[in-house]
Amino acid sequence: MKPVVKTEQVSKIFLLGKTKVQALSDISIEVFEGEFLAIAGPSGSGKTTLLNLIGCIDQPTKGTIRIDDETVTGLSSNRLADIRLAKLSFIFQTFNLIPVLSAYENVEYPLLKMIKNKNERSRRVRDSLKNVGLEKYMKHRPDELSGGQRQRVAIARALVTKPRIILADEPTANLDQKTGEDVLNIMKNINEDQNTLFIFSTHDPKVMQMASRIIRITDGRVADYNHFDRRTGEKKLFSSEYIIRNKGRRDLDR
Amino acid sequence: MKLPISIKLAIRNVFRNKIRTLITLAAIAFGSVSIIIAGGFFEDTFMQMREAVIHSHLGHIQIYAEGYNDHGSSAPFDYLIEDPDSVIQKIAPLDHVKLVTPRISFSGMISTGDNTVSVFCQGVDPEGESILNKIETIKDAETGLAIQEGLNLTKEDKFDVILGRGLAKNLDAKPGDSLVLLTNTVEGSLNAFDMNVKGIFFTASKEFDDRALMLPISMAQKLIRTQGAQTLVVLLDHTRNTALVKEVILKTIQTMDVKLEIRTWNQLADFYNKTVELYGRQFFILKFIITIIVILSIFNTINMAIWERTREIGTIMAMGYKKIDIMKLFLAEGFILGFLGGIAGIAIGTMLAWIISFFGIPMPPPPGATVGWTAFIKVVPDLLLTSMTISVIASLLSSFYPAFKASNLIITDALRHY
Repeated sequence: MKPVVKTEQVSKIFLLGKTKVQALSDISIEVFEGEFLAIAGPSGSGKTTLLNLIGCIDQPTKGTIRIDDETVTGLSSNRLADIRLAKLSFIFQTFNLIPVLSAYENVEYPLLKMIKNKNERSRRVRDSLKNVGLEKYMKHRPDELSGGQRQRVAIARALVTKPRIILADEPTANLDQKTGEDVLNIMKNINEDQNTLFIFSTHDPKVMQMASRIIRITDGRVADYNHFDRRTGEKKLFSSEYIIRNKGRRDLDR
Repeated sequence: MKLPISIKLAIRNVFRNKIRTLITLAAIAFGSVSIIIAGGFFEDTFMQMREAVIHSHLGHIQIYAEGYNDHGSSAPFDYLIEDPDSVIQKIAPLDHVKLVTPRISFSGMISTGDNTVSVFCQGVDPEGESILNKIETIKDAETGLAIQEGLNLTKEDKFDVILGRGLAKNLDAKPGDSLVLLTNTVEGSLNAFDMNVKGIFFTASKEFDDRALMLPISMAQKLIRTQGAQTLVVLLDHTRNTALVKEVILKTIQTMDVKLEIRTWNQLADFYNKTVELYGRQFFILKFIITIIVILSIFNTINMAIWERTREIGTIMAMGYKKIDIMKLFLAEGFILGFLGGIAGIAIGTMLAWIISFFGIPMPPPPGATVGWTAFIKVVPDLLLTSMTISVIASLLSSFYPAFKASNLIITDALRHY
């Protein structure tokens, strides 16, 4: 099976003043269609940076990233924008809804660039909001919605363009336990129903449990590769030592 | 109507961010109102001054014998229109011509017995002059020539004169006094008449009032022994028709046997032209300053907006919107703000102009004049267009840098922004 996302020896160095900060070092991972992949790690471990790189809103210092076999490193900002529009969507920890727009308008926003036909757009927006159970809240502005509802609007917005990959950066971190679970369940349902690939970062063990696979990152390196065997549907936990021991047995990252 | 997405989004943003929009609109409208009020004030001043100059003595067009303008000042009697009536008969029926009235000017000496001064004499047709002096095009305007004491000349008058206010003061003359007017005749001999002072007048020009004396043209012609006139003053129904009628008159006089030349009021009104030029420059500076203020305030508001909306920009760029889309969006917002601000400015400015004009602004006499006047705010279409153009251009200009900055935000930084 071909990976949807493949990173090869990806490193990212940030310049903070004159200090170089190594955010990611030699990350090589593959992500496959239909996965519900968690990138786990403590804060500052480089989860968000990795998501940003896969999401084509940042560029690695070293290494290459391929999406659907297309190398996305070193492309122009316009080309990257096209790729984002066609294949990627984001869900943010802070929801990032536009405060002056209604739920409907927020969800419609990315579609304005894709679909010129108003009726078609409207149908897609309604479907998307229905998917997250917010069809009754279309006219509400973000400040009239609860945190969970806001994040569901954000999910609807991510979903509406029918992307290949949805990237969610700590999607439940700003929500209470129960709401966070609800939001995650919605994401999981979409993943199962529509086979949409989700990559999300988290440091919450409960959230990780729902993932089909977990990639643990510590200090910008892959620490654990929690593999999910697609053929048997069996979850296997591998420690990094195990992976290193079994190198060559399976085509694993790192 | 199919609007581009950037315009649609910009309209929505502008209307949804009410407070921010109101603050920016207030700044733009303020600038626009200032331009309308200041411009309207100058416009009204220019118009009143123009009409005063035209109606006090210049008329709209003057007709002379050929050569008068170049050489007439040294030999005024060498350039007389010998048969003024035949010319008047040809010009008077033309379209837009309200009046053609003859004048003859010469210098002379007057004496009250105690005092003798040199004067500038103007032989006029009293009936024609009174029509000329009436300013009908301006609301509440006074006449071009006003009588301070005594009475104006009428067509029955013979040995009567009216004196300019400065001249009368100089001579210590008052209505009812008699004086001797002495001058050269056309042939060069001397002639003198006893005249009665009938009234004392003043015009918009102090210089003229200090030296001028007016008498009926029939008496002037007798005094200097001629049938001719130097100047035929043409009054039109409206100042704006001057250029049009000038062409017609030029064609008409070419068909005549006598050689004539003409001048329009704006060729003759030197003082008016210079004042307009001076005020025009001042108004330009004012417009410039207002434009800078508008640019700075819009710049500030849009810059603030971009600061506040950094995360929003990051989010929509993450969605797949391009740099150029962001640029277009903010320029479109600038354009819409400028347009709306311009409309608001025009509405408020016109209303304010109307209110100010209802009361009028009392003004002191302008330099070289003797009477104060009431200024109004005259709003003309040109002015509204100017204020609108400035609003829109200033807004666009001041959106440009913020828009550029927004479109060049690094997405990951923008998303982290709080």
